[in-house]
Amino acid sequence: MPANTVLNTAVLGSGLLGLDLVERMRHSPHLNCRLVVGRTRHSRGLDQAAGLGCATAAGGVTALLGSGQSFDIVFDATNAFEHPEHWGRLAGTGAVLIDLTPTRSSALIVPTVNGTQAAEHQHIGLISCGGQAAIPVLHALAQHYRPQYVEMVATAASVSVGRASRLNLDQYVETTQGAIRQFTRTPAVKTMLNISAATPPQPFRITMTMVAPGVEQNPVSTIVETAATAMRTMVPGYRVTSCTVTDDIIRVIAEVTTTRGRMPVHAGNLEVLSAAAIHTAEQHALAPKEIAR
Amino acid sequence: MTAPAQVTVHDPTLRDGQHAVRHQLDREQIRAYAAAVDAAGVPVVEVGHGNGLGASSLQVGHGRLSDDEMLATAREALTRSRLAALMLPGWATTADLHTAIRHGVDIVRVAAHCTEATVTERHLGVIRELGAEAHGVLLMSHMTSPGDLAEQCPLMAGYGAQAVCVFDSAGHYLPADVTERITAITAAVHVPVAFHGHNNLGMAVANSVAAVQAGARTIDACARGFGAGAGNTQLEVLVAVLERYGHRTGIDLRRLADAADLAEKTLMPAPPVIDSTSLASGLAGVFSGFKRPVLAAAEQEGVHPWDIFAELGRRRAIAGQEDLIPDVARTLAEQRASR
Repeated sequence: MPANTVLNTAVLGSGLLGLDLVERMRHSPHLNCRLVVGRTRHSRGLDQAAGLGCATAAGGVTALLGSGQSFDIVFDATNAFEHPEHWGRLAGTGAVLIDLTPTRSSALIVPTVNGTQAAEHQHIGLISCGGQAAIPVLHALAQHYRPQYVEMVATAASVSVGRASRLNLDQYVETTQGAIRQFTRTPAVKTMLNISAATPPQPFRITMTMVAPGVEQNPVSTIVETAATAMRTMVPGYRVTSCTVTDDIIRVIAEVTTTRGRMPVHAGNLEVLSAAAIHTAEQHALAPKEIAR
Repeated sequence: MTAPAQVTVHDPTLRDGQHAVRHQLDREQIRAYAAAVDAAGVPVVEVGHGNGLGASSLQVGHGRLSDDEMLATAREALTRSRLAALMLPGWATTADLHTAIRHGVDIVRVAAHCTEATVTERHLGVIRELGAEAHGVLLMSHMTSPGDLAEQCPLMAGYGAQAVCVFDSAGHYLPADVTERITAITAAVHVPVAFHGHNNLGMAVANSVAAVQAGARTIDACARGFGAGAGNTQLEVLVAVLERYGHRTGIDLRRLADAADLAEKTLMPAPPVIDSTSLASGLAGVFSGFKRPVLAAAEQEGVHPWDIFAELGRRRAIAGQEDLIPDVARTLAEQRASR
């Protein structure tokens, strides 16, 4: 596959996440954002997307389908209630749909874990910000130990959690729980999300707890740091702040800050998700065969 | 002059009290207390894990009983009292609401940090759709202004809340603080307003009276004040005081006092006391439920619990951020070592 393949993309949703995708694609040699679609015209998000030099449209997925363009990749940064309809209407166009909403209907990709499989799928789910931040560490630990119970508590700054996410908290919890189950092969999983109003806003924070017999501090620290290092190739602001082993319990805390552009420094929750989305889209550009159309 | 208003007393002894016993209440404890307050005519009895539906976890402690077991046990024991449950969006989900309402829960309270009423939209709607009564709760209400509370409460009413409730989760208020807030809220919403006090500064009953005088029509209180740290507003004292002010509650005070004796004997190792730790958390405006993890972290790192509370207050930590506590203690210990 030539390294100069450029895929045409569109973004559904003009919130913070949609805008960050647009921003990132300006720096991607493989992705050309041709359209950003919002719900209503003259929203702040659409104006900002236009300011970044992107064509915009209002009217949701209908407007996207009526644009007369064909897209190789569509990013869905709307919400979990609307996503199934988006897939239903886009599947037949042959576009790859990368889902940034917490929906459980597709192949789940976590780039540092199974990112190389992304190009095999037309419908890809990115779970949630907490899932993207926790699964690399939890999956790595589960390769070495047999977890009896896994718990993940994500804390996101209030200003970085928009209305769609607030309405999708159930889907967030259930999709993240399901994904952690799948990637750690552990039936007993609990996930919670806190929205913190602390001022100034604190970085996105993930507390992971794993109960597993026979764990020891030294190998655990190495496994966790290796997973974190891999994460940093994609999300430079990913940092393990604490990793302790007491009895049979591993407790890891990670924080994610943003390191670029228009994103406020605390919005690591958006950063992990948009980084995963771009990585996944680029896998399609780098795939050794044309995407079936 | 109009007669003093009727006040609805809401009893979360079997939910908020759980914080004081690591969520370990068993079936017989729940059954006996619920039956006793039901007989005394307490109109609403709230049951569950201390942090509400679906909250049993390492983060805040695993409960002895499941939500199913607690709700079923309480429901069986209640003949007149209505059964209530609490939920925090992000911790519990719609599936938990279905479970609770299937168990005969009459009222579900959806709680959010005081500035985050928008997270209650979905679940308040679901509760209404399922036919139960939906209440909106603002936690840690001292962390924002009266004006902001008066903007947050109408949001919840707009989402379907049939009552709005402000929690003084940290026990930080003085009566004038309560008067100002309840006055602002009652002017802003057309649904009943409730107040939930904690006793860290010894003001819980006085604050509750101030709330009633400012227009609150539901007051939360627990037998012997059973709750985290310094405890909650003391139920039997509140009802006696409201009677002296002429407010009717519909509760048989003698039977309630007996129920409180039963609570002291069967639910708690000792009644709550305003110890120095609780005083520190009230002053710092930090969630009372942090007491146990703060003491554990203080011992582990060899730092003074007052310093941990002060730092948690400075960081504006909220319930659910228990994972911050060991971090704060470690940071304080490192700072001291580097001096």
